[in-house]
Amino acid sequence: MTLTTADQVPPADPLPATRAALASHGRTGFMQEKLPRLVTSLAAFVPMAALLAIVGVLAWKALPALGYNGIGFLWHTAWRPGNAYANPVRTGGVLHPVGASYGALPLVAGTLESSVIAVAVAVPVSVGAALLVVEKLPRRLSSTVGLFLEVLAGIPSVVFGLWGALTFGPFIARDVAPFVAGHMPDVPVLNFFRGNVGYGEGLLTSGLVLAVMIIPIVAATARDLLRQVPRLPKEGALALGMSDWEVARKVSLPWARAGIIGASVLGLARALGETMAVAMVSGAVLGTVPTNLYLPMSTIAATIVSQLDGAFTDGTGYAVRTLAEFALLLAVITLLTNIAARVLVRRVAGTALPIGRGV
Amino acid sequence: MSLSSPAARSVDSPVVVDRGDGVAMRARGLSLGFGSTAVLADLDLDIHRGTITALIGPTGSGKTTFLRSLNRMNDKVAKHWHRGDVLLDGSNIYSPGVQLMALRRRVGMLFQRPNPFPMSIAENVLAGVKAHGIAGKQHYRAIVEARLREVGLWEAVSSRLGSSPFNLSGGQQQLLCLARALATGPEVLLLDEPTSSLDPITTEHVEALLRSLAPALTIVIVTHNLAQARRVSNRTAFFYQGRLVELTDTTKLFESPEHPETANYVSGRMG
Ligand SMILES: Nc1ncnc2c1ncn2[C@@H]1O[C@H](COP(=O)(O)OP(=O)(O)OP(=O)(O)O)[C@@H](O)[C@H]1O
Ligand SMILES: [Mg+2]
Repeated sequence: MTLTTADQVPPADPLPATRAALASHGRTGFMQEKLPRLVTSLAAFVPMAALLAIVGVLAWKALPALGYNGIGFLWHTAWRPGNAYANPVRTGGVLHPVGASYGALPLVAGTLESSVIAVAVAVPVSVGAALLVVEKLPRRLSSTVGLFLEVLAGIPSVVFGLWGALTFGPFIARDVAPFVAGHMPDVPVLNFFRGNVGYGEGLLTSGLVLAVMIIPIVAATARDLLRQVPRLPKEGALALGMSDWEVARKVSLPWARAGIIGASVLGLARALGETMAVAMVSGAVLGTVPTNLYLPMSTIAATIVSQLDGAFTDGTGYAVRTLAEFALLLAVITLLTNIAARVLVRRVAGTALPIGRGV
Repeated sequence: MSLSSPAARSVDSPVVVDRGDGVAMRARGLSLGFGSTAVLADLDLDIHRGTITALIGPTGSGKTTFLRSLNRMNDKVAKHWHRGDVLLDGSNIYSPGVQLMALRRRVGMLFQRPNPFPMSIAENVLAGVKAHGIAGKQHYRAIVEARLREVGLWEAVSSRLGSSPFNLSGGQQQLLCLARALATGPEVLLLDEPTSSLDPITTEHVEALLRSLAPALTIVIVTHNLAQARRVSNRTAFFYQGRLVELTDTTKLFESPEHPETANYVSGRMG
């Protein structure tokens, strides 16, 4: 490479010379430019490929079951593996044990009900805790609370499950649920809260254990978002004579609203897919839709893990294919909640936030 | 109206009860600081009722801090401390039984930079009205229109009252915040360099508005613009290094100040 300096040979037109010098400076070399670009675009491709591969394999596995179970799969309640000792039969080209029939409704209901309970409990608690940490607690105490949140987020779900099954569930059934069940009026909707409270394995315990598991996600995000609310509008609200609670409600929460909804949806997705803890506290009852808060039930994820061993004993492969169909259904439910969340976030963020206005 | 029992009051006609001595607010031996730094030292100062008092002084001389002590906005600042009294209508706003919310309804504030709330333009104007339950729903529209007209923003925003205030220009946002502060019908209005984000014509409009409000409203305005202090204020206070050097009629302070520091500052040799 040769450098042309002004006092050597003054070029007639300096610009082309500069361009040539720049071009020859090696910025277009394979190692400097092409390789990093290749690597990064491959890396960006990996998650997409992984998602497509997983869904594709699941769909491929589930396809025969999809055909045999039909659309009625979505609203049937049966859980009948069929007669394993009789000769399998073939319906519409799909081999299956005699009398085998599966319906998704109980598991879909269990999954949605437990997750909704979890989010309904976790979001108010998390937002309240985040407000307290950001606005009220002294700095030192709030970092301690943050530490607890991180530890809580890192605890394996099997530990939550064991705690739920041994301690928390029985406690709820003995000391909390009877009171609630006994005082709810017997009217539609509210009679969901009535019934025999059982021994602590079931919908309520599952929902509450899930709530404890997603609180760290939602609370930590809400705390970070509330910390980012600028001081000026909050001071303006105080100067107008608003109480701390009004400032939180009118300024801080609206400011952070879109992000908090996003975090809640992350929590919901976690609850929908949580497996081990729910498998340990749900009561693992298949084939019935829980009609009150205390009944044992199961969820899609928990059922897949608890039934997989048994499904492999079905020589026709039909049981495993049905579990694959359940997995596919769970993926679709998660996807739909994500899309709904995106729409929701866009709607609420559109109203007021000062995005891109530097005043 | 006492601090501890905010009585309902008409928004459109703030009633000024003259207690006879003509002093709306008074600082008595006020010292104030944060942690180990003292910001204000032993201040004695009267704010006359129904007049405009300008606070001038070099950067860091404590004007904002003093202004914020008049509605106790310093209370929340870490390690804040104070000695001495601030009186509003003769009663100490720092005494234990005082309700901060009632105090701040009576002593409103406009900040240096616009700070609209994340709600619609109309909701912004009504924020304080709703928080204090000043007027019923049926009056909301009228209040919004009256206040926005008063600050000269009505023409610009009347067609988009329901939309976000953050799409307004910085100056318009500041006018909106002024409308919001006026809507609660304060007795004293504190302004911290309120026109620093406004163009000259809007500034002129705001100054005219302040002058027209003055007999019914007591105004304290911090400004770095000496010409503005001369234009709008009846009396001017000169702050220097956390002390009040001089507080007197604006004309006198600018034309024949008593203290050499004041003379230096107003003639542009300092600050
Ligand atoms: N929260 C705080 N903690 C510590 N010191 C503070 C705090 N707020 C203000 N000060 C100090 O108090 C002094 C006065 O500040 P203040 O904002 O009142 O000045 P000012 O006269 O309004 O200045 P300017 O004209 O630049 O706005 C400054 O030295 C500042 O550093
Ligand atoms: Mg200042």
